[in-house]
Amino acid sequence: MTDSALATNPAQAAAASAVAPKLTVRDLHFYYNGFHALKGIAMDIPEKKVTAIIGPSGCGKSTLLRIFNRIYAIYPKLEAKGEITLDGENILDPRYSMNRLRSKVGMVFQKPVPFPMTIFENVAYGIRHHEKLSKADMSDRVEKALRSAALWDEVKDKLKNNALGLSGGQQQRLCIARAIALKPEVLLLDEPTSALDPIATSRIEQLVEELKSEFTIVIVTHNMQQAARVSDLTAFMYMGELIEFDVTEKIFTKPGKKQTEDYITGRFG
Amino acid sequence: MSGSGKDHIIKSYDDELTRLTGEIVRMGELAVSQLEAALDVVERRDERAAQRVVGNDDAIDQLEQEISHDVVRLLALRAPMAGDLRNVFAALRIAADIERIGDYAANVAKRSIPLSMVAPVGPVGGLEHLAELAANEVREVLHAYRDRDAERAYQVWKDDVVLDEAYTGYFRQLLTYMMEDPRNITPCTHLLFMAKNIERIGDHATNIAENVWFQVTGEPLNKQRSKGDFTSNPEMTKLGE
Repeated sequence: MTDSALATNPAQAAAASAVAPKLTVRDLHFYYNGFHALKGIAMDIPEKKVTAIIGPSGCGKSTLLRIFNRIYAIYPKLEAKGEITLDGENILDPRYSMNRLRSKVGMVFQKPVPFPMTIFENVAYGIRHHEKLSKADMSDRVEKALRSAALWDEVKDKLKNNALGLSGGQQQRLCIARAIALKPEVLLLDEPTSALDPIATSRIEQLVEELKSEFTIVIVTHNMQQAARVSDLTAFMYMGELIEFDVTEKIFTKPGKKQTEDYITGRFG
Repeated sequence: MSGSGKDHIIKSYDDELTRLTGEIVRMGELAVSQLEAALDVVERRDERAAQRVVGNDDAIDQLEQEISHDVVRLLALRAPMAGDLRNVFAALRIAADIERIGDYAANVAKRSIPLSMVAPVGPVGGLEHLAELAANEVREVLHAYRDRDAERAYQVWKDDVVLDEAYTGYFRQLLTYMMEDPRNITPCTHLLFMAKNIERIGDHATNIAENVWFQVTGEPLNKQRSKGDFTSNPEMTKLGE
């Protein structure tokens, strides 16, 4: 197999990471009011690895991420065709319950959006929606989620304070805690650090590294250095197409496609 | 100047990379002229000119420092990726090789001083042939670097065997002279060291070729190559008998 064939073959890229795919995308097309936003995407996202999606604005990377938990379904006139399987089941099938999907696929957005309630309630709110727990069990779950999100030590004495009083970086980690409190299998991060300072960004990146032993993580980022730092695999998208998908080290040292090279070296006109 | 043919969106980034290539080429040309000057002083038996060649090596060292500084700056401020990263990485390694080439040229000039204090010996001419081969290798590999021409670099890498073989032949010739007349031992020993220095210049040219290959292709140059330097073979010492 030649290098260029490897670069364009997502199955090979997943094989390169030597892990079974958690999510598989096949011939995925997406339309916004008739606009063809994603054109035949095919990729295998390996389990318990970090997959980064990079590309210029409007390339479809956030759209792709949002299809992974069908968040698009709340808007009319949006249509996804093709197949995305999570552990072998097609999540685009309307019979795949939204509640089930959201409990398996968590999402964190660019701007931290804590609910206007206490820190404790921010984490407990989602759990209550899916499970009935005793007070003690709920406290344990909230603590565990806050510990996993590397926030516990900073908030353990002020769990009853309003979450809006936290710093931006803390708010974002709270959102991550809220997402992982539901014990999802896949964690989607849509530019999770673009509103944060470098220290808060480093904390989130460290957190991503720790969380990948438990979750399959997909991160959309505009920051290529961040993709290089945190991900195992990197996908480059351009104008709704997946141009190249390969192990991160290869993408950033010797990409197979000229378009990828031009983008990551800052030659994109 | 880029591997991809397109300019960077940030123009000053291109300027910095172009400057880096220019510095490497200039440094290489300086090393080649040092080697030629060293050979010239050997032939003319000119001690003062030899001292000047030795002193001129500082200019090459200075350029290497400038290149190291520029590379660190590029890495820190531009965070180069992919082809740019290989470009900057190769520049740093190539500069180190050229610096060694300059040292070897200065060593040849330095040894010409004691050599000029004894009566001339026959085999001095052979050194000139070695130096021409080495200088050509360095010139060729610099062209390959400037033009990002991996094939031309590969050719240099492959052809180093010619210099190695010439060195082996010269080694035998010097052994014969020394065995014929012990008074030849002093000058021939100096010539032997000088020849070894020149042979090493060829090795550094092949290092540069490997870096050019890596820079252009992203792959290490892992091909088979024949070696022509057999002077470490125990049989060699018997050849003069």
